[in-house]
Amino acid sequence: MLELKKIRVQFGDKQVLKDISIKFQPGEIIGLVAPNGTGKSTLMNVIMNYLSPNQGQVILNHELQYSSKANEVKIHQGVSMMPDQSDLYNHVSGKNHLKIYQAMWNSNPKLIEDTIVQLGMESYVKKKTGTYSLGMRQRLCFAMQIVSDTQVMLMDEVMNGLDPTHVELISQILLQKKAEGKTIIIASHLLENLEQYADRIFFMKTGELKLVDELVPGFTDNKVTTVRVSNFSQEHLEVFKKQFSGLHVQTLPSGKTLIDVSKQDTETLGSITQYLIAQQLTDFSFGKLTLNDLYSMEYQQK
Amino acid sequence: MWAYFKWEFKQFFTNKKNIAVYVILLFLGLYFVLKVAPSYEPIEKVDVAEMEARFTTRDDFIKSVEGKDNIHPSVAFALAVFPQWNEYDRARIDAINEKDYLKYAEATAGWYLYSDQLTVNGDSFFYNPLYYTYGNNYAHADGHYGYGYTASRFTGYVEGSSELSMDLFEERTALQTLQRMLNDYLPIVLFISCILLSVDIVLKDRRNPSLLKGFPISDWKKLLMKGLVAFVGSILSFVPLYVVLIAIGLQNGFGDFSLPVPFYSYIEQNFTNMTMSTFLLKNILFIGVWFLFLIAIILFLSIIVKAEFANLFVSFIIIAAEWFYFERVMGAYSDIERYPTSYVQVGQVISGYRNFVYQSPDLTYQHGLTIIGCCTLFLVILTLIVSKFKRFKLIA
Amino acid sequence: MRSMLKTLFIIERTDKKNIFACLIVALSIIGMVVYANATELGNPIKEKSIESLPAKVAMNKFQIVDASEYGDGSDIYKNIVKQYYTYPKQGMALKTEQPELFIETAIELTELRKQAFEMDDYDLVAVNLPSKIENEMDSYYYQYLKENDLVLSFGSLSFYPFLAFLFSIVGSVWFVLICIYASNIMIDDFRHTSLIKGYPIAFTKYVLAKCMTSMGIVFIFIIELIVCSLPLIYFKGLGQASYPVAVFNGEVTIYPIYKYIAVSIVYMICLAVFAILLSVILNVLLRNVYLTLFVQIILVVIPILFPSLIKLLPFNPFNYVNFPSVLNGDTLNLETPVALNSNAGLVYLCISIVLLMAVIKWFLSTGKLQKI
Repeated sequence: MLELKKIRVQFGDKQVLKDISIKFQPGEIIGLVAPNGTGKSTLMNVIMNYLSPNQGQVILNHELQYSSKANEVKIHQGVSMMPDQSDLYNHVSGKNHLKIYQAMWNSNPKLIEDTIVQLGMESYVKKKTGTYSLGMRQRLCFAMQIVSDTQVMLMDEVMNGLDPTHVELISQILLQKKAEGKTIIIASHLLENLEQYADRIFFMKTGELKLVDELVPGFTDNKVTTVRVSNFSQEHLEVFKKQFSGLHVQTLPSGKTLIDVSKQDTETLGSITQYLIAQQLTDFSFGKLTLNDLYSMEYQQK
Repeated sequence: MWAYFKWEFKQFFTNKKNIAVYVILLFLGLYFVLKVAPSYEPIEKVDVAEMEARFTTRDDFIKSVEGKDNIHPSVAFALAVFPQWNEYDRARIDAINEKDYLKYAEATAGWYLYSDQLTVNGDSFFYNPLYYTYGNNYAHADGHYGYGYTASRFTGYVEGSSELSMDLFEERTALQTLQRMLNDYLPIVLFISCILLSVDIVLKDRRNPSLLKGFPISDWKKLLMKGLVAFVGSILSFVPLYVVLIAIGLQNGFGDFSLPVPFYSYIEQNFTNMTMSTFLLKNILFIGVWFLFLIAIILFLSIIVKAEFANLFVSFIIIAAEWFYFERVMGAYSDIERYPTSYVQVGQVISGYRNFVYQSPDLTYQHGLTIIGCCTLFLVILTLIVSKFKRFKLIA
Repeated sequence: MRSMLKTLFIIERTDKKNIFACLIVALSIIGMVVYANATELGNPIKEKSIESLPAKVAMNKFQIVDASEYGDGSDIYKNIVKQYYTYPKQGMALKTEQPELFIETAIELTELRKQAFEMDDYDLVAVNLPSKIENEMDSYYYQYLKENDLVLSFGSLSFYPFLAFLFSIVGSVWFVLICIYASNIMIDDFRHTSLIKGYPIAFTKYVLAKCMTSMGIVFIFIIELIVCSLPLIYFKGLGQASYPVAVFNGEVTIYPIYKYIAVSIVYMICLAVFAILLSVILNVLLRNVYLTLFVQIILVVIPILFPSLIKLLPFNPFNYVNFPSVLNGDTLNLETPVALNSNAGLVYLCISIVLLMAVIKWFLSTGKLQKI
């Protein structure tokens, strides 16, 4: 288990992380969502101790803290971060990179072959990484971390540069690792993909971690909560708001209008539908709030 | 293309390593001005005491044996040659005392010619003892060269219109110091700076490939511009030299561009003079061609081997190669004049000294220019061909 | 630690630079073997035949007078005349291959020179004669040969003497070569920070492993030096490993060749460790290969440019980086003569290594690798 206790990071006057306290459990995938420059990487760097927080502790398995160099080594034995693809050794083959990670973490050598097969890297893994494409390098970096087989894995933008097939492939491996009891913390901008496998998703805003379920109660429930309408013009919207005065209506910067119907009965839903059709606004759907919507609401609202 | 040149140029002069090279050159220059130049002791210096001692010894000898019968042939020989020799020495001593530099130059030129004639083929006399240092097996030849050189130089002073002075006679003025440095290690220092300045000019781009790959200009032109920037940068390594020249000029005078610079012709076995300006221009031209040669090597290696280490190694080998195979008079039995590396001592090639130590008639300035120029051209063409290959990528 | 070494091994063994460097070392040594073989290096007949010329010149600086024992010539003049007439004897000994006579005349010469140093007007002929220390070393060498009844070899260098020669040549540039080789030891890592920072190993240990790997390659270089010289055994034979070499370590003594080689190897190892540690520090401080190299070379060159510094700071490890010249007593010929002790040099080097290690340890516990 990884615990963060009152982590605070300050650059000058700017508080990047505000007293973050949180626990990550084994067998859990955590999603971190935030625009660039809001402190995701800072948080990961604090967890790895690449950056010392102004205040607060990182605690692994209730006891280990970054209190000495020896402890740092012990924590790194259990916590790893995915390498940057620009940091690969161009003159060394992919397979040797995997061997390096296996040797450094002293993990099961069998993992190397397994991971190569799982990620479909057989055809090129023996070539020098200098010849790899962006996607190949990204897969190798991911494979390296899988081979290190640490208890906690931090992944920053793991899906960068991957095609949909490989995104799916990696998602499967993540789920498998979760089943093995790993704690995986992922920062990603592929929000729909993240929704698929993440157990908890946090938004980072003004230096704080906000669980989406707390931002929008019932976000993860399987229930129709929202009507999403495209191209709702301003005049129509005004009329609509007058007619259904009890409803919470919101237009996102992306152009979508969201009508909150989570507390409404089927009758109201029916009349909303009728109204929309009457106004010839046929591009609408019933469903739940997506992460994309939420992202738009949280970060793109003026 | 011009924009790319400016971009590379800016990169070149903000490169920490390049700034360090210029700073080190400046430091070396200052060391030279403060420490090396003041301790310069020419072998052929203007030393009245030495001349008088020589004069008196010979005069005493002549007086002691004159008129005697039955003298040993070597004494007879001495009697025959000493009076003329003493005449020259007398004239030199008088001229110095009267501060008549023109007369001194005339007598000195005569003295050296005469001494050389007497010494070169016989074993009765020796050149200035300073040539005969321990371990120098070619001291006699060096003495011959030194005397011929000095005679030619003083003849030049007599025929020329330069303002004469003691510093000038001992080659201490700024331009003469430069001339001496060019005959010494200055070209090597400049070549090493050129190598250090241009060694990473291509390979540095590998650090930001995505940024630079996409510039809308062909690889070949990029290489050309890089070469040009490296060349301009190398030429600018002359700047610390000006500082040295000015500092020395203020102390010992600057000299002028019409000063004679003796030039040895192996075929005619004698010295003729060229003017200082000719000598310097030839040097600048030759050094420039060498710069181009070294840059061409670095560009070519950069696209073939793609390792800075290799650039450094190969270009240093080119500079140092002569040191490995050099042996006096080897030109007589091997064709060292065909290797470009034999021309690395640019100043000595131009003044004919290399020619003299190698005893090779073909190791000349023109020959050197042709060889280095051809090698450069060949490398540039190779680079062009390689960069036109479809598979070639400048930045991998 | 073992896994770290394994990792570094994987990385270094395919690094072009290492392959290149090993090849170059091998080629240059083979080149030297060929050169030594072709030019009859060390053949005394070739090398001694022209030694008499400077003595003749020295003689000519004096008026010709009676040089017999009670003649009216000055002492130094008589001395030089005697020296001059010893040379033909020596030449004869060489041509007729009479080692005893050769050694005899050689000792005679060194004795004459020794006397000359004390005489008036010695300055007049100083440039024409070997320096005091050169003469003393010669003297010890020939005395040793005589006392131990060793046979002087008239041929050119065989394997062991060649090794001694090779180590003295390589040794003089060794430090600079290793500096060049190691100048990017940490710089390269700045481009792989996200890998290295996460390794579950303390950073000091990482640096240690890194230095050990570099030292491994240095050992390969040293082994290459010996292995690539082996062909000389075929051409010139093995030679005697116990043949004497005159060295200076505060005073002139005789080392057998194997001891000379052993001292050289110890020096080379210490210098390599020193160069590598220095590179680590400078890399972290300056973050640029060339600046690292420049600083190292400036540190080496400063005592050469300002010889008075050597006397002022005899414990400066950079005085000893050209250890063959220290073993030759060359520093006694400087403007400000100073007797550097080669054994003390080793001690100073070791102290410097310990200090550097302490600095690195302290340095790395406060700062970490940052991306450049």
